[in-house]
Order: sequence, then C-alpha cells, then structure tokens
Amino acid sequence: MRRPLIGMTAYAQQVQYGGNEVMAGMLPMTYVRAVHAVGGRAVLITPDDPGADVLDSLDGIVFSGGGDIDPAYWGAERHPATEIDKERDDAEILLMRAALEADLPLLGVCRGMQVMAVVGGGSLHQHLPDVIGHDRHRAASGTDPLAADASAYGRHDLITEPGSVVRGLLGGHTIVNSFHHQAVDDPGSFTPTGWCPDDRVIEALEDPNYAYAVGVQWHPERTSDLRVFAGLVEAAARRSGLKPEAFAA
Amino acid sequence: MRPIIGITTYVETATWGIWRDLPTTLIPHDYVAAVSQAGGRPVLLPEHEDTDVLEMLDGLVLAGGPDLSPEFYGAEPGPRTVTSPDRDRAEMLLVRRALDTEVPVLGICRGMQLLTVAAGGTLHQHLPDVLGHEKHRPAPGVYGEHDASFEPGSRIAGLMGDDLAIRCFHHQGVADAGKLTVTGRAEDGLAEAVEDPDRRFVLGVQWHPEVVRDERLFGALVAAARRHRS
Repeated sequence: MRRPLIGMTAYAQQVQYGGNEVMAGMLPMTYVRAVHAVGGRAVLITPDDPGADVLDSLDGIVFSGGGDIDPAYWGAERHPATEIDKERDDAEILLMRAALEADLPLLGVCRGMQVMAVVGGGSLHQHLPDVIGHDRHRAASGTDPLAADASAYGRHDLITEPGSVVRGLLGGHTIVNSFHHQAVDDPGSFTPTGWCPDDRVIEALEDPNYAYAVGVQWHPERTSDLRVFAGLVEAAARRSGLKPEAFAA
Repeated sequence: MRPIIGITTYVETATWGIWRDLPTTLIPHDYVAAVSQAGGRPVLLPEHEDTDVLEMLDGLVLAGGPDLSPEFYGAEPGPRTVTSPDRDRAEMLLVRRALDTEVPVLGICRGMQLLTVAAGGTLHQHLPDVLGHEKHRPAPGVYGEHDASFEPGSRIAGLMGDDLAIRCFHHQGVADAGKLTVTGRAEDGLAEAVEDPDRRFVLGVQWHPEVVRDERLFGALVAAARRHRS
C-alpha cells in the first residue's frame, strides 16, 4: 500500500551551496525527514506557481516556516522589522483556503500557523518583543540551529487546552523550541489550544470542524518529537484509506 | 487540471538569509519555471526509496546533478568522479519504475546519463581524458555552446527544428547508450540526445534546456504528460 502523500510548501530563494549561488526551489531537509519518519511521502510545492489544482493529488499538506506575512492582509501598516515575500504569501493563502475547502488534513509550522490565523480572518503581532518585552521566542541570530540543541532555540514551556487535538497528541505540558519574532494576535476562526505559560503567546491553533487542521508556532521538525507530524499523516491516511504505520521508520 | 510534473532534487548543505550550512533539498529554480511556463504543475521530489509517488505524477524530469555511481554500470569510480550515493539509489529506483509504467520522462544532463545507465548503457567518467578538450565544461559556471546535429526523423530533431544551439555543462558523457538510440551528437561525436523509440516519451538531453526555459522540450513533456493522464 502506498504512503500518504504530503505536500510541503517550499521557498523560492537565493541560496549558496558548494560554491554555487542560485535561485532555488528548496526546503530544509528537517521538514522532509519529519514527514518520511512518520510514514508519509513528501513532495515540495513551490510558491511561484499559483493554483490549487495540485491539492487533488495530495493526502495532506504542511505549510512550512519562513518569513513574515504581509500585514496588508489584516489591514495593518508594515512594522520596520517585518520582511515579506508577496509571491509566497499569495500562493500559500490561496492553497490554504483551497485545502480547508477540501478538508485536506493540514499542519502549519511557525509561519504556517500564522498563515492559518490570517486565512481565518485574524491578525498577527508583527514584532513580539514590542508586545511582551523580551526576545525569548527567537534564538540569537547567527546561532547554528543544527549544531545547537533545542535550548539554544528559544526553548520554553507549552501548556495545552483540555480536549484539544494538541492535548491528545502532546498531553497537558511539554517543552518546545521557538524561532519567531511574530505571533498570532487574533486567531480568527481558529481556536487557540496551546500557549507559552510565561507570556501567554499563542503556540497552537486548531479547528475541530476539520479532519486535521493544526498549527504550531514551534519547530517540531527540528526535534525528535514528531507527534504533530504523525497526527497529520494519520489523518491523511484515514482520509485516503491508507495505512501509514506499515511504513513508519 | 494541469499535468503534474515531478522534478528530482539535490540534497546540499545550503546557506541563505540568516541560515548557515543547513542540509536542504533544492533544485535550481530554472527547472521549476520551465515546467510552469510549459503549462505543467511542478512538484519537487526529495530523494526516497518510495516510488509510489509516480502514481500522482503525469510526467517526470530527471534533473542535473553530480556524477552517477559507476557501480551501476559495472565500473570502478575514476579519480574525478563525485557521486551522491543516496540520490543515485533513489533515482535509479524511480526511473526504472517510471519506465515500467510508461510515465513520460525528460532526462537532463545527469538525467540523460541516468536514463542511459538504466537502459544498460555506460558512461565516460571524465570527457577531457577521452576527447582531449574541455568544450563541454569550459570553466566553472560557464556553459559550453555548441551546435548539435540531430538524427532526421527523431523526436528531438522534430522538436528542435532549425535552431540547433545547445548549452552544455558536464564532464561525463554517454559511452554506450545501451537500449536507447542516440539521436543527437555534438561536433566531436559525443552523444547529446538519447531516446527510447519503444516507449511513448523517453528523451534525454546532455545539455541544459531549463536555463532558457526551452518550451520545445518542456512543452513536449507536458503534452505527453497530458496524454498519459487521459
């Protein structure tokens, strides 16, 4: 039986590797490995090709991390620290609306959770230190996030809402890593179900009316705790009549 | 709905923005743009032993990249052969299954070499040793520009028409095309295009049509993908 096919939104980005400098379609391997480790098969969807027709062929989708979303989407002026990529915003907002419409299981990671809030009609804090007075949700710039353990990555507590999907997956309390300077202000149509207890920053969003619509502000793909990815792949398999556990590493 | 065209990818240690040296799955954006402009819906394929992904695809681009492991054609690695073993294993599985299931395939540079080896052929591991010149890879980041000649009546001859200019960047090349037919050659006789006349659409080119978004080639792949779907 085939593995559930999970689309992952990718970046179109100028990158350097092995002496080359090219515009590339790309995604850090941590995301790809996370999906493969829980029995899914990852394919990457580049942002430059607006259109949602590819969703018909997928069993689930991950909205990946990345830069800031244009605050024009919720009618705000741009903060000096806000850096946007209009092409990626347009492509992902279009894809997410279509994915929700089709009830395609979806996971939003970091920026991906923020896209959920914006698509749900909500809004973001554009620069979290202005709101909470500290920068502990973002590891120091220049930190090598691969060499670093989670503690160098804005490590903090997470508490979850009883009865929520994330409570079922993660229990009432866990510790997560963070790397973001924006955060959800108004979650719109989504329900906040996880918080950082120190500053009440929203760390998880979901909507129980969908098969699996979960967003997390942290970076599970950089840890060994892949339970929110496993939840996505299980929901994707259920929707398509597949059995992913046979493939999980 | 547009035909979905899978594109194979590299895994490289990449640097961008504030991020340094992260293992990244990537492909030069030219490939993505070339597929989009030709009317296909590109998706990128990270390496994996899974080949069931072909069920979602209407066509496949085997992209350029490092040298193919010579073990696949029964040779020892030469001193200038640089391979990516995980990618080789994954792409060999993928190309064999694609051929078995008649998914249309366009192989570019390394992708043409992969098609050749999958068809039982062999490669020259370092062309300057064989040809005595470096015109297929003149210098880092510089394409070798040639006029190719194409076999009259072949698929590639029909697609290229009167414009025979090609842009190459490779140091290996096809020695024996195996079950494939060589349908294009450079002035020095090196194979520049291969086809499998027994399959609906299997075309390999040694040059880089994605750099100029060549709709002759990508358009033909997308058209074949559309036929494959229906």
